[in-house]
Parts: sequence; structure tokens; C-alpha cells
Amino acid sequence: MAETATWDLTLDIARRDLLDLWRSKMLLFFFILFPILLMSMFGYIYPPVPKSNANTGIIGTAFPNLPVSLVQMDDGKTANLIAAQFIQISQQQGLFTVSQSASYQSARSQLVEGNLKGIIIIPQGFSDALTAGQPATVQVTVDETNPTTASVVQSEISAVFNIIGSSMSAQNINNMNGGRVNPAFIMQPISVTNIPLITGVSSSFQFLAPGFMALTVITGSLQGVATAISREKEQGTMDGLLVAPISHQSIILGKVAAQTVRGLIQGLLILGLSMVLFGVRIYGSPFIMLIVMVLGTASFVGVGIIMTAVAPDQETAQMMTIILQFPMMFISGVLFPIDQLPGWMQYIGKGLPLYYAADALRKVIILNASLTAIMPDVLILIAYTILTMTLAVPLFERAMRR
Amino acid sequence: MSQPPEPVCKSSGYAIETHGLTKKFNSFTAVDHIDLTVRRGEIYGFLGPNGAGKSTTIRMLCTLLAPTSGSASVDGYDIGKQGNEVRKRIGLVSEKMIMYPRLTALENLMFFGRLYGIDRGALRKKSEELLEMVKLTPFKDKLVGGFSSGMRQRVNVIRAVLHDPDILFLDEPTTGLDPQSTRFVRDLVKELKQRGHTIVLTTHIMEEADELSDRVCIIDNGKIMAVDPPQALKEEYNTTSLLDVFLELTGRELRDSANGRISMRTPMGRM
Repeated sequence: MAETATWDLTLDIARRDLLDLWRSKMLLFFFILFPILLMSMFGYIYPPVPKSNANTGIIGTAFPNLPVSLVQMDDGKTANLIAAQFIQISQQQGLFTVSQSASYQSARSQLVEGNLKGIIIIPQGFSDALTAGQPATVQVTVDETNPTTASVVQSEISAVFNIIGSSMSAQNINNMNGGRVNPAFIMQPISVTNIPLITGVSSSFQFLAPGFMALTVITGSLQGVATAISREKEQGTMDGLLVAPISHQSIILGKVAAQTVRGLIQGLLILGLSMVLFGVRIYGSPFIMLIVMVLGTASFVGVGIIMTAVAPDQETAQMMTIILQFPMMFISGVLFPIDQLPGWMQYIGKGLPLYYAADALRKVIILNASLTAIMPDVLILIAYTILTMTLAVPLFERAMRR
Repeated sequence: MSQPPEPVCKSSGYAIETHGLTKKFNSFTAVDHIDLTVRRGEIYGFLGPNGAGKSTTIRMLCTLLAPTSGSASVDGYDIGKQGNEVRKRIGLVSEKMIMYPRLTALENLMFFGRLYGIDRGALRKKSEELLEMVKLTPFKDKLVGGFSSGMRQRVNVIRAVLHDPDILFLDEPTTGLDPQSTRFVRDLVKELKQRGHTIVLTTHIMEEADELSDRVCIIDNGKIMAVDPPQALKEEYNTTSLLDVFLELTGRELRDSANGRISMRTPMGRM
């Protein structure tokens, strides 16, 4: 078919698709609800974490007031003192709700029932060892059924005992040298301080928000275009478009334009919400950000068209998009760092455009990257767009005339 | 705009002409070497039992389906090589209504009219005139999703003639309509003939075919069984009802068959 696409027609088709969304109030409601839900969910899952600081004795936590139990098997004076300090620091900093158990066995059964996240045992002979100038050991059991909580509990208990230990060391050093040497010099001759990449980042969510924007924009457009085309095929209106003297490119471009607008709306909703609710800031150029979002949509819309061309009906097309987008969420570096994945999975993740869109958005929004700095990402997205569209257009033509 | 290309077979003067037109789905032959001619300005009744190949033929003539073999010209233009010229000159009312439920009647007409490059002013005038013709002016700004089947079909039919097509395909335009709407749509078909459109009409209602058609073509199993004016057919079979002719030609037993078209052809192969 040699006719060229006319922009006028493309706009007409795009406008109609958007009008359809606007008039379907229920669909519109969920269309807006989706990014809000996604955002609030992940925003609160990754709340702002107070910075840990060994010097000031502050331990930041994302999991406040976890229930733990203290089993004190030594009745010495020092053991009592340390147990009291542990309870005080834990409660002051909102780390743990500390209860006390008579025996390890009873505490363990509490943990198995899910009422405790950790058990701290102060063993017999603890006071004696310390009084005699020997190091003493505290034993810890954590609920290992949830690896994340387990490691948090483990490290926070260690951190509390570090604080207690430091103050004891400081005391000991003072007692020994009568105040001539700064105890910190002996305990920690070299310390490390962190210069933040960006000043004023209040929330780890800042790093996640751009990834979510990319995810929403891409999966939204993928699913949107597949649904839009297969629905028209099923309800019969596609015949009305195909029987008119217009090019298939106009139809495809119209659908793509409408989906791009929809994707941008959802992406911007996410951005707006994360700015208002979670203090996310845009450090880079909003214009470059928009370019990346449009490219992200374009790179994947062709895949949506290919799926509609291949799928016999709307339901199958939807199933196919879900199958594609679900793993994509996990292996494209949006939720988990891509370096955490096994090598072969990294290759797949890096073969998907979501990785590059998320990467570019993150760099622009957080690191104030210039267009030149994200050029590799941009070029890959453009290449992806050209490749998928080249495949999609003839497949669409064939599918429509079968 | 450049000059329209030359029709491939202008000389024939037929509105539609097919030569050995064939469509196979898998091993099933839906349309089997059909040769038919539709004259300009006539209403051509295209009849046959379910699955006889009527809709498949119409979809091929509308360029919505590629033939397996054979050729066809519509208004002199080849359906394969000059698809765009064909599309400019045809209007289609298919089994599924071509309209968006969440657009108003007028918006639907404006949307589809724009696809034919008609400018907005002229299109609006034409749409309003046609809405008046089908007595829907009071409802023109209402969403068609809330229309009755009869009202929808009236919009659907005028949608197909917005661009004044030479040839109009009406695939079962009265199916599912109440008697009033059926009557209205039939009169509308006559009116459209008066306005100079050539009409290809499929229907399962023999009295409708008898009333409207200048000639009827009865097909079965993808093959043409008879083509003649209804009166001539009735005389030939010595009956007063076209239904008798139809049953005589296509048999009286039920046409239950499953031809395996559940399988879908995809670029990855059959599924």
C-alpha cells in the first residue's frame, strides 16, 4: 500500500481514542488510580530512612519497633546494666519493642509462632567475663523465614551492642590513661564520612521513582496499543478504518500517538505524586525527561502491535502483554539492581528497552544528566523503535487481511 | 492530488466483475472460482445459506481479505493492485456495526467521513442532511451506545454513504431489527438506489431479496448456483416464492458443518 500517512488523519484517530478514554468514566478512573496506587504502595514500602551515624549513636531503620525478646541467663550487675541499656537504646530509637523471656525455649516458641522477630541471649558468665577484663558474647537468634527482616534485625542488634560497647570502651580507656588520650583515637583511628552524590536527597525512593515512571509508561503503552487494536478488530470498527482509503501507517501512528499521550499522563501523575507525597525532586531538565518518556513509549509500542497481529483475539493479546511485562518489571533494574541478577538474566534485562528508559530517566531526574550523557540510552531506544516498527507494520497489514 | 490511476478494465462497464475468485482457509474452500458481474445501478441480491461464502466474497471485494487466487475489479479497479482506488469508491455495511459506542451519532459520521478526506464543513452538512433523511436529527448529539439496534443500523447505513460511494455493500442490513426498522431500512435501500448507488445486498429473508433485488445470485459451498431476476427464477421453478427457489437450489436439510476455522493463522504458524 503506497499511500502516505497524513498527519491530519493520524490526529483524528488519536483524538478519537483519547475521547473514548475520556468518556469511559470508569476506565478513566482506573487509568488514574493505577499510578496512584502503584506510587503510594511503593512509596510507603520504601519510606524515608533516617541516616545511621555511628558517631552520634543514631541507627536509622526502615522497620521500626520490631518485637524481640531478651533472655537473661546471667544475673550479674554488669549483665543487668547492659540489658537495661539495650532496652533503653532500642526504645529510644524506635528499633525494637523488647520483652523479656524466662528461657530460650519459651522465647523460641514465641518466635516460631511469629510473635517475635529476634531473641537476644545474655549467657551465664557474661558479667564475670567482663569484670575479669575478658570479651563477652551475646547470642542472637532471628526469624530467618523472611531474609530481609532477618538481616535487618541482625544488623540492628549488632549496632545497638556496638554503641553499648563503644561507651564501655571509652570508659575503660579513660580509666586506664586518666584522660590523656582521646578514646576515639584508639577505638576508631580512621573513620569514613559520606559525601552524598546529590545533596538533600531525603528518600531512597528518589532513586526508585524514575524507574517506576519508565515502567508505567512502557507497560501502559504496550498494553494500551494491544488492547486498542484488538478491541477495534473485535467490535468491527477496524473494518471501517481498513475499508477507507487511508494508509495503515495512519492508523498505527494514530494509535501510537494516543497511547503516547496516555503514557505521558500516567508518567507525569507518578512524578507529581512522588514529588508531593515523598519529596522526590527533579534535578535535571524536564524537557529531556519528556523526550525520554516519549522514546520509551515509542520503543515498545511496536511490540504491542506485533502481539495484536499474532494474537487471534483481545484476551490472548492481553495475556501475551502480561507475560512480557511481568518479568520485565523484575529484570530491567527497576525494582532490583540489575547487577544482583545472574549473568544470563542480565543479558535479557539489558536486551529490553525498559532498562534503558529507566536508566536514562534516573540519570536525568536525579543526576541532572545532559542529553549527551544519556545518548547511548537514547540511541538504543531509537534503534528499538525502528526495529520493532519495521516488523510491526507488515505484520499488522498481513494480520488485518487474513 | 495527482490524477487517479487508469482503471484496469474500464471497457467492461460493470460495477463489479470477478474471474475465478477463490478464497481458501486451510483446506476449506470458502469461495470457489466465482465469476460474477454486477451491473451499474442495480441492486444485486447475494443469497446463500450460512457459510456459503457471501461475506467472504464481500470482504474480498472490499479489500479486507486477500483472495487466494483469481481476480476481481470494482468500478474498474483491481482489488489487489489498486486497492486504494477501490476503497475510495465503495461503502460497507458489514455484519458487525461500524461505529464507536462512545461517540455521538454526529461524531461517528464526522470521524468516518474524515477518513475520506471530506472537509469538515461539507462533511457536517452532509452528515446532518443524512441524519435528517433517517429521522435521527433529534438524536444526533447522543452517544450511539444508548441507541436501539434500529437506530444504530440507520446511522451505520448512512455512515457508509457519506462519501457518495459508487458501490455499496450491505451485508444483512436488516438482521435483528424490528419490523418498523426493517421497513425503514428497506425503503432506505431503495432510496439509495434512486440516488445512483450500485448495491450488493446479502440477506436471509427471501421476501426482502425478492422485493429489493433487480437480480439475485444464489451461492452455496462457495459456488454460484443461479443468477437471474427474482421473477425469472420463480417462473423457471414454477413457484410464487423465492424461498422455494432457494430451497430447491441449496437443499432442504440443515446446513450443520464445522469446517475447522477455529484454528487461527498467525505469523508463527497455525494455532
